[in-house]
Amino acid sequence: MESLFVQQVVNGLIVGSVYSLIAIGLTMIFGVMKISNFAHGDFSMAGAYVAVFVMAWLPGWLGWVGSLLAALALVGVLGIFLECTIFRPLMTRWTDLDIIMVSIGLFIVLENLAQLFFGATPRMLPDPFGGATVNLGIFSTSLMRLFCIAFSIVTIIALQLYLNRARMGVAIRATAQNRSAAQLMGININQVYTLTFAVGAGLAGLGGVLYGTLFAIFPTMGAMPTLKAFVVTILGGMGNIRGAIFSGFILGVAETLGGNYISMEYKNAIGFIIIILVLLIIPHGLFGRKEGS
Amino acid sequence: MKKTYLAILALALCLGMMLAGPAAAAEPIKIGILGPFTGSLAHNAGEMKKGMLLALDKINGAGGINGRPLELIYGDSSCKPANGVAAVKKLLTRNDVLVVGGGYCSSVNIATSAIADQEKTPNVVAIAISPTVTNRGLKYVFRTSPNSPMFLMGMNNWLAEVKKPKTVAFFMENSDYGRDGQKIWEAQSKKIGSKVLGSFYFEIGDTDFTTQISKLKKLNPDVVFNIASTTEAALIQKQAKELGYVTQWIGVGGQFTQAYFKMTGAISEFAMGSSLEPTKAMKDPVTAAFVKAYMKKYPGSRPGIFSSQGYDNLMVIADAIKRAGKLSGDLAKDRTAVRDALKTTDLKLSQGPIKFGPDGQVNTLLPSVVQVQLKDCKPDTYIIFPFDRASNKYQDPTPWAQRKCK
Repeated sequence: MESLFVQQVVNGLIVGSVYSLIAIGLTMIFGVMKISNFAHGDFSMAGAYVAVFVMAWLPGWLGWVGSLLAALALVGVLGIFLECTIFRPLMTRWTDLDIIMVSIGLFIVLENLAQLFFGATPRMLPDPFGGATVNLGIFSTSLMRLFCIAFSIVTIIALQLYLNRARMGVAIRATAQNRSAAQLMGININQVYTLTFAVGAGLAGLGGVLYGTLFAIFPTMGAMPTLKAFVVTILGGMGNIRGAIFSGFILGVAETLGGNYISMEYKNAIGFIIIILVLLIIPHGLFGRKEGS
Repeated sequence: MKKTYLAILALALCLGMMLAGPAAAAEPIKIGILGPFTGSLAHNAGEMKKGMLLALDKINGAGGINGRPLELIYGDSSCKPANGVAAVKKLLTRNDVLVVGGGYCSSVNIATSAIADQEKTPNVVAIAISPTVTNRGLKYVFRTSPNSPMFLMGMNNWLAEVKKPKTVAFFMENSDYGRDGQKIWEAQSKKIGSKVLGSFYFEIGDTDFTTQISKLKKLNPDVVFNIASTTEAALIQKQAKELGYVTQWIGVGGQFTQAYFKMTGAISEFAMGSSLEPTKAMKDPVTAAFVKAYMKKYPGSRPGIFSSQGYDNLMVIADAIKRAGKLSGDLAKDRTAVRDALKTTDLKLSQGPIKFGPDGQVNTLLPSVVQVQLKDCKPDTYIIFPFDRASNKYQDPTPWAQRKCK
């Protein structure tokens, strides 16, 4: 017997895994550089279009794995480019609000460039599982969707290992905790910035490939992930990576359960209602720490 | 030497004029044609014009009307009401046209038809979907294409006569397009005794529909009305498959574009909508003859719905002028005579039978009901209703496990 509750929780976890993957980069960049990047969703859009071209070249699984690698690498490079040319020069000179405005402008420019070069026609990436579905009795879904959850979790664990074990990973965390102290310890801050942007953009690019396989690819596809990533980031505490991971899943499930039991029309609003409540009651987010602690 | 040539040329010209003289002597009947011939809809207006020129060939090729050829005078609206008003005023008062045809763009036609009505000139609108064009009690306004409620009428008849669903649900785009469609189908469901199990909405640009589809699966209605544009409609089909959900999906029909079929592939099999595309209705001999004549006049192109509606529009106008009898030369009298003749129009043209209701709206056109079916695993829409136009039979959606194509 299929259970609607279980089905909706599974639906929510799947969407949530993509939210998490995209939001981690946003929260990392905020944590390290204190930049709110409203163009973050366009890293996903860029990743999705990279996949469109790779899959036109390579068939089946080879194309899919190739797309993931290419999206990670190329969108990472795009992140480095934007960090070096736009964000780092502005960071020292301008206020936070200026940078927010610049990132919104960047968002519009990237969207329009995509429309100019790739056209407005929506596309979908072929499902490497050939659309195979699974019915586990209490819920049904596609193999691709299950794979998305697994892939997100593995990626997130790998990132955690990197941040906890690798030298540069520790440097990123140190910079996020206290920028001046990290500098005093001999950490090359600029290197950390560039790396953070590369990793954050690359992860969003990976998220874009998943998003493009589950959903559709079009120039304005970055808008929704940007908004969701901000909800997730605020929910988990700005700059808190572990918070973003859990919040992504929480948001996904809250949306599907809220849509199912409260109102379908307000499905998208549920995330924002949660944000308002969180900011009113626990301003540092569900997993946030107070400044300096 | 040069002079001789000139003399011969002059002679030839004189001869030519003398020969052509008698035919040219019959003064042409002037018809004004409105349309957005420039701007973003210029391509579609051009399609309409191509259909009209085909009709013009046919009418003038057969000797015109009572020995007088038709002459088309174009007025460009650019799909802007203000430009349309200026264009129609020029046609009515400077060009002294007998009838105004053409059209396109509801907002323009709502304005221009009121002006034609004031001038007591018949205005036969070719293309515009808003009911407002013909529901204001104007005495000189007609429309040769279906309005929005009529566009869904064929589907309503199919639901009443063939499918007779016991239960239905709505899954609509949260816009006027979606909500207006829901009103029409809600009324029809009530009429045929179908129970509405639920109404869900989504926003334009949404990508994840699994919440709504999971709920629909639980409710399990016989039919799900789903008004959505191309991307959303394609994603809904894909996610329904992922959740193992089967139902009879019914939309408006506009979503069935090339991009849609590229995204869904065989998944969209069994989905339904409405269509007036002439090339789909080749079983109808009049439509087939139109398509053939069109492809002969414009080699390499296929007529779409706008060409068909342009063709029918001018044919209706010509028929009414013919039945109005010999024109008196008094413009006001002749315009009213043509208006009276239009009221009793009874033709069979490329869109189907054409008769006007008391409001001037054609009420005999039934957009065909189409279903997505597979040929060699390639999806395309085929007419399944009304039966005299149908090329294929309705197929009940089968469970996913039984579908062979991927």
